[in-house]
Parts: sequence; C-alpha cells; structure tokens
Amino acid sequence: MLSRFGKWAVALVVLTLACGHAMADDTLAKVKAAGKIAAGVKNDYRPWGFLDPSGQIVGMEVDLAKDIAKRLGVELQLVPVVAANRMEFLTQGNIDMIIATMSDTPERRKVVGMIEPQYYASATNVLAPKSAHLHAWTDLTGKKVCGVQGAFYNRGVEQKYQADIVSFAGVPDALKALQAGTCIAFVYDDTFIQSTLSAKDPQWADYEMPLKSEDPQPWAIGVRLDDVNGPFGQFLSKTSEEWHRTGYLIDLEKKWGITPSPFLVEMHNKYAAK
Amino acid sequence: MTIVEAFKHLNDAYGINLSIVYDPFDRERFVHGFLMTLLLSIVSMALSIVIGLVGAWLLGGRSRLLKGATTGFVEAFRNTPPLIQLLFFFFAVSPFLPGAVNSAGQVTPLIGGVGWAIISLSLYAGALNVEIFRSGLEAVPSATREAAESLGYTRLQAFRHVVFPLAFRISLSALNNNMVNLIKTTTLAYAIGVPELLYASAAIWSESLNVREMMLVMLATYLLLIAGYTGIMNRVERALRMPGTDV
Amino acid sequence: MFETKLTARGVAIAFAAAAFVAAVSLAHAETASPAAASILSLVVKWLPLIFTGFLLNLLVSVLSMAIGTVAGVPLGLAQIARHRVVQRCASAVTQFTRNAPWLVLLFLTMFLLPFQFRLFGQSIPFPAWIKAVIGLAIPVMGNVSEIVRGGVLSIPRAQWESAESLAFSPTQTVFKIILPQALKRMLPPWMNLYAILAMATPLIAIVGVQDGLTDVRGALVAENRTDLLLPLYATLLAMFFIYCYPIAMATRALERRAEVKF
Repeated sequence: MLSRFGKWAVALVVLTLACGHAMADDTLAKVKAAGKIAAGVKNDYRPWGFLDPSGQIVGMEVDLAKDIAKRLGVELQLVPVVAANRMEFLTQGNIDMIIATMSDTPERRKVVGMIEPQYYASATNVLAPKSAHLHAWTDLTGKKVCGVQGAFYNRGVEQKYQADIVSFAGVPDALKALQAGTCIAFVYDDTFIQSTLSAKDPQWADYEMPLKSEDPQPWAIGVRLDDVNGPFGQFLSKTSEEWHRTGYLIDLEKKWGITPSPFLVEMHNKYAAK
Repeated sequence: MTIVEAFKHLNDAYGINLSIVYDPFDRERFVHGFLMTLLLSIVSMALSIVIGLVGAWLLGGRSRLLKGATTGFVEAFRNTPPLIQLLFFFFAVSPFLPGAVNSAGQVTPLIGGVGWAIISLSLYAGALNVEIFRSGLEAVPSATREAAESLGYTRLQAFRHVVFPLAFRISLSALNNNMVNLIKTTTLAYAIGVPELLYASAAIWSESLNVREMMLVMLATYLLLIAGYTGIMNRVERALRMPGTDV
Repeated sequence: MFETKLTARGVAIAFAAAAFVAAVSLAHAETASPAAASILSLVVKWLPLIFTGFLLNLLVSVLSMAIGTVAGVPLGLAQIARHRVVQRCASAVTQFTRNAPWLVLLFLTMFLLPFQFRLFGQSIPFPAWIKAVIGLAIPVMGNVSEIVRGGVLSIPRAQWESAESLAFSPTQTVFKIILPQALKRMLPPWMNLYAILAMATPLIAIVGVQDGLTDVRGALVAENRTDLLLPLYATLLAMFFIYCYPIAMATRALERRAEVKF
C-alpha cells in the first residue's frame, strides 16, 4: 500500500513541476483582442471592495479597476480574491491584474510585478477592545491575535513579538472571532481598522487602534512578471501616475468616506508639481 | 554540505523551495500542524464512537421520545454540509454561550477553535456512526440475544457481552471507512483558523511563496497518515476475524 | 412501516429544532437591538442571492458527479482486469484519489491547473468554478471506481462460470450479465456518494468560488450585524437539508429493496 502511494507521489511531483506558469504573451494585446480584462479584487474589505445586496462587488478599488477597463475600452470582469490566493490566480492566468489591497514587498516582487507609482499605502496595526489596555506591540507577547491568512506581516508579528497568530481566510471571520473573544486583538492594515472605527458602528464602539502603526508599505497593482516592463505595465504605470496627478484617488477616497491618507496628498503634490 | 545547505541550494539554483527543511520557523509550523491534525483525528474518533454507541443504544431502546430525538440528530447532521456545521457552531452558536473572563477583563469563550472543531467533527462522524452501529446491531440475529437472555443474562448484560461484540465486529469495516473520512474531514478546521496540517501548509506557501512544493509535501503527508491508519486497522480486522463468518 | 413512521418523526423533530434555533435567535435579536423586527426582512432580502449561490453548488455537484462517474466506471472495471499492470495502476489511482482529503484536492486543482489551455493555437479559458468541478470530480472518480469494483465482485462467481459455459466472451459477460445485476447493488452507494458530494460543495467557497456559502458571508459583511449570523447560516443549512434528505431517504428505500431481493 505504502509503496504504491510512494510511486504515485513521485509521478505527481513530476507532473506538477512540469505544469508551467508560462503565459508569455503580452497581456495588453490579449486584453484588447478579447475585449475583456479580469481584475482580482477583494470582496471583504469595506469600503475598498465589498458586496452589495445584488451580489455586485463595489468599492474604491473596484472603481479603479473600472477606470482601467474604461481607458482600454474593454469589459471588466471582477474576480474576488483573498490574500492567500491572489498571486496564484494571477500567475495561473485567472486574472490579468491584482487590485486587492496588496502591499508591495520585496518577497512578493519575486513572484508578481508591482506597478509604480503605488496607488495607496497602509501600515500594520491592531484592532482591540479598549478593555484589553494594549499600549505597545510587546503587550501581544504570548497572546492570541487574530489575523488574515497571507498577510505579509503575520510572520513578523509572530517572530518579533512572539504573538500567537490565529489567521482566517477572510476579514469577516477574523472580526467575528475577535468579537467572540477568541483573540485579544486583530492585526491588519491600519487603513481598514481606521475606516471600521470611523464608521461609528455601535458594535465597534468599545474598540480602539491602540498601537503605533508599524511597517508602512505602499499598495501596488500587481501584474505578471513579464508584463511589468512591457506595454501593459507601462500603461498601468501611466494610469496610476495620472490618478495621482489629477487628484482622482483623493476624490475616490472622499466618495467612499475613507479617512484622508497623507500618502495620497504627498503623491498628489509630487506628481502635480511635475 | 549539510542537509540544510543542500535544500537552500536547491531553492537558489533550481527554484524548488522546500522551506520546511531549511527554515526552522516553517519547519516548526509544519510539525505543529501535523500534530494538531493527529490530535483532532484521535480525539474526534474517540468521541464519535461514543456518540455512535450511545445513539445506537437509544435507537434500540423503548423511549419513543429518545428514539425520535436520536433520529432527528442523525438526519440533521448527516444531511447538511459539515463545513457549514462547523462555521455555524464556531461563528453563530459560540457567541451565545457563556464565556470566561480573562485577566484583561475580556470575556473569552470557554471553547476555542480547536474545541469547536473537535465537537463539530465528532457530531458529524458520530451521526454517521449511529447508523453504522445500528445496522451492525440489526445484523445480529435476534435468536442470539434470546439465547443469551435464556441463559440468564439481563438485557444490558446480553448487550455488553454478546450482542455488542458481534455487532462491533460486523460494523468494523464501515466504521473504518468513516474514520478515514474523519481524518480527511479534519482539513475543514482550516476554515476556523485551527493550525492543523492544511492551515500550516497554506500559511507557509502564502508567505514563502512555494505553493507547488508545499502542496505536494502536504498531500504526501495526508496519504501517509491515512495509509498508516488503514495499515493498523487492517491488522486489527484480521486479528478480530470471526471464524466461520464473512467478517 | 414502523421504520418510515420513525423517520418521519425524526424529520419533524429536526424541523422543530431548526425552528427553535430560528426563534431563539430572533428573540435574542429582539432584546439586543430595537431594529430586530427587521431581521426576517433582512433574511428575505438576501434570500434570492443566497439561493442563486446554492444553485451553483448544485450545478457543481451534478457536473462533478457526471465527470467522476464517467471516469470512475472504466477505472473500476480496470481494477478487476486480468491484465496485471492495468489492474495495479487502476487500483493505485483509485486508492490515491479516494484517500486524499477533498479540500486538499481542491486546493491542488485550483492552484496548480492553469486557467487557460492552449489547443491548436486557441486559448481555451478554464475558469475557477470549472476547476472546482474537476477538483471534486477526482475523489468522486476514486469512489465510483470502488463502488463498481465492489458491485461487480458481489456477483457470485457461478454467474461468470455459467456465462463462460454458455460461450459468452469476457466482454459480453461483463456488459450483458454482470453489470446489469451489479447495477442494482451499485445504485444505493452511488446515490449516497452523490449526497456526500453535494454536501462537500461549500468547500469551493474556501478556494474562492462564489457559491451559496460565499453569498452568506458576503451578506454578513454587508449588513455587519452579529444577530444575522444564526438565521443566515441556518437558512443555508436548511437549503442543503431539504435537498439532501430526500436523496438519503430514497437511497435507504433502495437499499432495503435490494436486501429483500437478494
């Protein structure tokens, strides 16, 4: 029995390693020919990407994806992704780009192309009940902290502060677990925590963002590695620059009721001056 | 060159990233994941067998109310998705239960993710076990029980010493199938953040970005685990063979 | 007769329990917030979306079952082939596909299959939900293979021998004599497998396909209300129960009939 499994495991290894990722064509040409572009977006990250009752995904990042499709004159297909699967979806060709609150990190640059200038930025912080009286990151040592699978800072928080991260596939699950008291805090992007708190929802009235935000990282549109310096990457790069210059991102932030981010103001000033 | 260096080289030169070998953090996570899967499997197996026995006993009893309740339990758990049962317990039921207050004055649930995973898996597999043991009991000829009772055994004694051992042996192969399924079903605990094997593997591949390698390592580990279980159970079945019968 | 009465009562109790859970959650909501009366209306509001998602679950289950069966029948027959190599390979594939956890196989197909196939210069899209169908069809194939093997082997040897003495070829024997008889015995476990598959379909939500479970969670995010958790999850559980329970009843009825016959 065992050796049989062994043989098949070896065959499987060979098979899957042979499965290439290669999608060598230029995505821009492909998208235009197909008349359709697929964007990976969040559907659990209010108000950047979330579901409305008709089942549509809406939000600030969805607006960005719509703008890109409009500029290309193609139809937009939205594909909901989570942190743990978005890069596979991109490399395997399910989507053409990621606009899903993805932080630009060196580790990830090995796998996906990051479009510059980045369109947003966030840092790491925690959402915690006021009663937990957290003051410093080191207060998390040895405590259970909820998180979301695939977030790049999970490992850092676990290693640096010896927190015990309990991570879930999606944000709602992690929030429910926090409310249920499964963990003492929820570690996530400060942008999300801020907008959750500022919505003045009574269920978060007794919660706070008590720590100093750490590890600020810009969010980038992700494309396949071959695309980043190709026509598709250049097109997106120009688009993103224009978003900053015209103040489009700042307008969207207002439209979705997001607390103004200093990053956008700084970027707007930088590109408007050019 | 040490093994660790060899695997680092494998990554740098060939892009085959087996981080669980050279990275102590990833290795520890993987080993913990494996142990958690073992824990979930063993505890849920034991509880589900107890549930199955109690349920089958109740079904054979006299109380109509208990029979009806048992049937209702079995049908409800057999005919709904185990994943949604688990989420239902963990997210929807858990907040209604009283909690304990921790040192920070926070109300924390008495039952955590691991606890709910065990409860949910045990109830699901237990509901199936009720059916398995019931049909095992039905397969024991009533003449056998009557013979035992005519020898002066009480109903409970006849059950314990005669009917049950026979029924258990008859049920064993169906029970084993269900237990293999239970081992496979422990992967669902991933959905509520229990750090079992799948969770650990997913955490590793989404941070070390080595999906293919981890996927294969994980698959091989599950297959070995199940091969190990069936290997042991085949021996048990052979040891418990009843001469002169099919089983 | 006694049996059916008992099950009917069981169902009544199961429904009563569901109603109780719903009532408790409503009552709890009533005390928790003044807007609680609208909880029912919120469930109704999201019901169409959840039901549409549930239909995708059913579609996936039907397609996976079809593919898994078409692939599993020859595999099962190969398991009892006389040819040693064919037989060994078939049983290895069967063991492998039966023993791997379903969720792991789903992850495998989801992440490792490409989303596009190139065939004669044409690229054929291969969307996520179709990959999910394949991911679920793999374990179905292994299980169908075992069902076929078990079904065929359950036919007494004498049937083979008498067919041979009547000058049937082995192929004829399988298709004209053995399979028609084995089919009756294979049907109940096959239906049982289908019910298990239908109940496994919410797993596709974990790998990112938008099914009924995704919709429930989406609704929970959009409404952002803790008191909706119980009713919405219970709604989805009820949908599956209403679909799967009749299948389970029919399976048992068939099993009982088969018991009487043989």
